[in-house]
Amino acid sequence: MNFKEFQNQSRLYVIGALEAEELEEFEKARKKFGKKAEDYLGKCYGLHEAFALSLRPAKSSAAIKDRLMAMVRARKEP
Amino acid sequence: MGRSKLISSTRRKPRKRVRVTKSRTRPFSVVPQLEPGAPSDLELMKAIQAEDPDALSQLYDRYNGILKALILRVIHNEAEADDLLQEIFMEIWNQAKNFSSQKGKPLGWMVTLARRRAIDGLRKKQAYARAEERLQNETEQQPDAWVHNSTEEEIVLSDTRSLIRKVISGLPPAQQQAIDLAFFRGMSQREIAAKTNTPLGTVKTRLELGLKKIYDGLKELKGEL
Repeated sequence: MNFKEFQNQSRLYVIGALEAEELEEFEKARKKFGKKAEDYLGKCYGLHEAFALSLRPAKSSAAIKDRLMAMVRARKEP
Repeated sequence: MGRSKLISSTRRKPRKRVRVTKSRTRPFSVVPQLEPGAPSDLELMKAIQAEDPDALSQLYDRYNGILKALILRVIHNEAEADDLLQEIFMEIWNQAKNFSSQKGKPLGWMVTLARRRAIDGLRKKQAYARAEERLQNETEQQPDAWVHNSTEEEIVLSDTRSLIRKVISGLPPAQQQAIDLAFFRGMSQREIAAKTNTPLGTVKTRLELGLKKIYDGLKELKGEL
């Protein structure tokens, strides 16, 4: 797999769309290209952010935050 | 679109909210825009790593709407989405120590975590069949959720969202659908092929072409992706 092919596969990888038989070859290429591969993969994860930001924010109930913060503060207490 | 052009285009619009000063270096930054002096996402993550509950509270206020929208897009159930949202922010609190700014931005990390939990939740709670039915109904009414959202006139889109959606809506519907099923439903290429009655090779091509166009489009907008 050359780096261009790796780039193509990386975009599929980050959204979980690689098939099992493709994953093995992808992981080999990832190891082969080393830091260059990791840097590119990091950029591909920007797709996640973009897809989330493409959605209209949804409202959630205030009670959710109250419960969350109560749980967090309870865990923090000794 | 070049960086300077993007800045000038956003400045033409009157805005009620104050733009974050850091936007000079990152014109295509994340929403919502921060008030001057407000801590950055990274600063909040570092404070959460130091177990500061107020930082989590601020991060929640900033991103609960985006993460809830993502969860809803996956599981299509308001009550389950609220429960998951709470669980996800609890996981953000518990797993904050695993976040590394060298691997990406806080929002990207949170979205990745939320998506995984939402897809897990979809499968574990056996809501799949119900969501499938709802999604089917929605799909029959509107072929694509991204397109559906973009036609809601009453919604004033943020600059960021409208720019991203412009990139996505520029794709052929079949590519949008393939990406939608993969990202928001967690489907494999084979599952997409079966669901859409499309050859596996065609699904792969649609995903590859669509993702490349989105990636390149965002790169052009951001100048940094």
